[in-house]
Amino acid sequence: MECLIGIQGKDFVLIATDTISARSVVAMKDDHDKMYPLSDNLLMAVCGEAGDSIQFSEYIAKNVQLYKMRNGYELSPRAAANFTRRNMAESLRSSRSHLVNLLIAGYDKDEGPSLFFLDYLASLNKMPFAIHGHGSLFALSIMDKYYEKDLDFAGASALLMKCITEIQKRFIVNLGKFRVRIVDKDGIHDKGTVAPEPVVAA
Amino acid sequence: MSILAYNGAAIMAMKGKNCVAIAADRRFGIQAQTVSMDFDKIFEMGPNLYIGLPGLATDVQTVQNRLKFRLNLYELRENRRIKPKTFMSMVSNLLYERRFGPYFVEPVIAGLDPKTGEPYIASMDLIGCPMETNDFVVSGTCSEQMYGMCESLWEPDLEPDDLFETISQALMNAFDRDAVSGWGAVVYIIEKDKVTKKMLKTRQD
Amino acid sequence: MALADVCGFKLGNENSYFISSEETGLGVPSLKDALRMSENFTVPCGVNLQDGINTAFTGTDSKVKIQFDHGTTTLAFKFQHGVIVAVDSRATAGPSIESQTVKKVIEINPYLLGTMAGGAADCMYWERVLASQCRVYELRNKERISVAAASKLLANIVYDFKGMGLSMGTMIVGWDKKGPALYYVDSDGERLVGQLFSVGSGSVYAYGVLDSDYRWDLTEQEAYDLGRRAIYHATHRDAYSGGVVNLYHMKKTGWEKISQTDTAELHYQYAAEKAGKK
Repeated sequence: MECLIGIQGKDFVLIATDTISARSVVAMKDDHDKMYPLSDNLLMAVCGEAGDSIQFSEYIAKNVQLYKMRNGYELSPRAAANFTRRNMAESLRSSRSHLVNLLIAGYDKDEGPSLFFLDYLASLNKMPFAIHGHGSLFALSIMDKYYEKDLDFAGASALLMKCITEIQKRFIVNLGKFRVRIVDKDGIHDKGTVAPEPVVAA
Repeated sequence: MSILAYNGAAIMAMKGKNCVAIAADRRFGIQAQTVSMDFDKIFEMGPNLYIGLPGLATDVQTVQNRLKFRLNLYELRENRRIKPKTFMSMVSNLLYERRFGPYFVEPVIAGLDPKTGEPYIASMDLIGCPMETNDFVVSGTCSEQMYGMCESLWEPDLEPDDLFETISQALMNAFDRDAVSGWGAVVYIIEKDKVTKKMLKTRQD
Repeated sequence: MALADVCGFKLGNENSYFISSEETGLGVPSLKDALRMSENFTVPCGVNLQDGINTAFTGTDSKVKIQFDHGTTTLAFKFQHGVIVAVDSRATAGPSIESQTVKKVIEINPYLLGTMAGGAADCMYWERVLASQCRVYELRNKERISVAAASKLLANIVYDFKGMGLSMGTMIVGWDKKGPALYYVDSDGERLVGQLFSVGSGSVYAYGVLDSDYRWDLTEQEAYDLGRRAIYHATHRDAYSGGVVNLYHMKKTGWEKISQTDTAELHYQYAAEKAGKK
């Protein structure tokens, strides 16, 4: 029911997540933050099993910071994604596995922006755009049609709006507003929340 | 649905005259949904040695990481390149260590002997039972289709160019009859002094 | 039936579709079979109708399995110049592709089209029954049946079999006295009227493209492109949809088949357009 969306642009990565925290059929919170900063230029968005999402992402966040303290330099986005994947893959075959879906967005001085898609089975994919949750069913074809390489922020936001408008229109669960952040060379920037225009199905 | 078919994959390897070829599709899907069309399933394990890992994507990545680690240790300790057959035993061992909770991958190995240049291909089930052949090996969600294509197209002593044509046609026409694999393909032609990597233009549905 | 009436044949159990196994035994051809042809159905021995035949063939513990062709993308939408119908052409059994050249648009008559999703045999058979009933209506009333009535006939027929394992999701498209018409009918007995529908496993992807570009005042060419494009995007992401796009246009003068395009061709055409735009 949750939805994470990532779009890689020319010199940044945009991440948007829904803000609902649900237990059973009840929305406990409508301003929930599903993003965790891993370091200055690394942002992770999480959804999945309640409890696991918070515990696992905090574990990863603290370990990435520990690595920086021990070694005096940061993990690159690719390294952080592989570190996360390995932790998940190991937990997958333990008695208690973390059932979480992740998007990892980062900016690296040398490699530029990058976006990683990691599902709850710990399959890692580097992608130009990615969606977790049922929203992917409705929005992936829109991404396929309208996504272009080297989008600027205005272009990426317009594409995001197209996607969440469609999700709002066709998905029976109301996901409410989406929180948006971007990661670029200067770090992580809050871009507030966006809500799709209410529309009536044709 | 089988766990082996959760993400979808099709991989095959063929012997030629003093050369071998290995080819794979590029799809990463989650059951019916195609998520990515540039997923790597063939990994370099030496200058003339490659392994293809069809199966559950998470185990594809885990197994390739762990194999590379063991292979690096072996080559540091022995100070020489591994022979394809020895590498096959290493893969087999790694998989059988998980006999009671297996990695869901069924590997395909293709390579040339580092000294003699002798072509070598092998495949394996998910708990490491090896199968070495003199013609071709296939593995993945459309193995029946791949067997059909290989049985009809393959012939002995193909030159590298002909081997490329044969393996490409065999793979493409096999996964075009499979819903969960395809979306692009990659072919490696391995010769004694060079390896050629080619991407195939295929159907995208 | 007329001949039977003239000859004075009495057929028992007129109103039932079923011949129970106690009366005739399984597979024993009856007089009714010959006269009413396939409008009645023999029931397998030992299966209670009340329990539902559904589970006898599709249940997890059943020894005989019917595999339905659930993978499909079909769509239809109304616009200023009529109705567009576009479908893919893939048939699958499990992960295996059985055909890439299925005709999923059923040409009921020159003014009626039906689309096919779910059980291929179910759709094809019942839309053929619908075709015959529409023809009878035409002969009796000296005018064509309305699309509303035709779709309701189909909905009522399949509703009779509810819970017995029929599987179909179809769109009935036509042009009658009131103009263009579009109905969605499925095997649950649901019947909806609307502007725009998409049915099948790939429908969610098709909706994504349709919703972002659909307008009432599309030109004919724009509407054709939109229909093709929506099906292509669905075949690209949905493993169980693929093959070619068959495109129909329902006009005042009846339906016209506009095109049949391979999705592989469309993919590289769209990719080139995107690359050229930059």
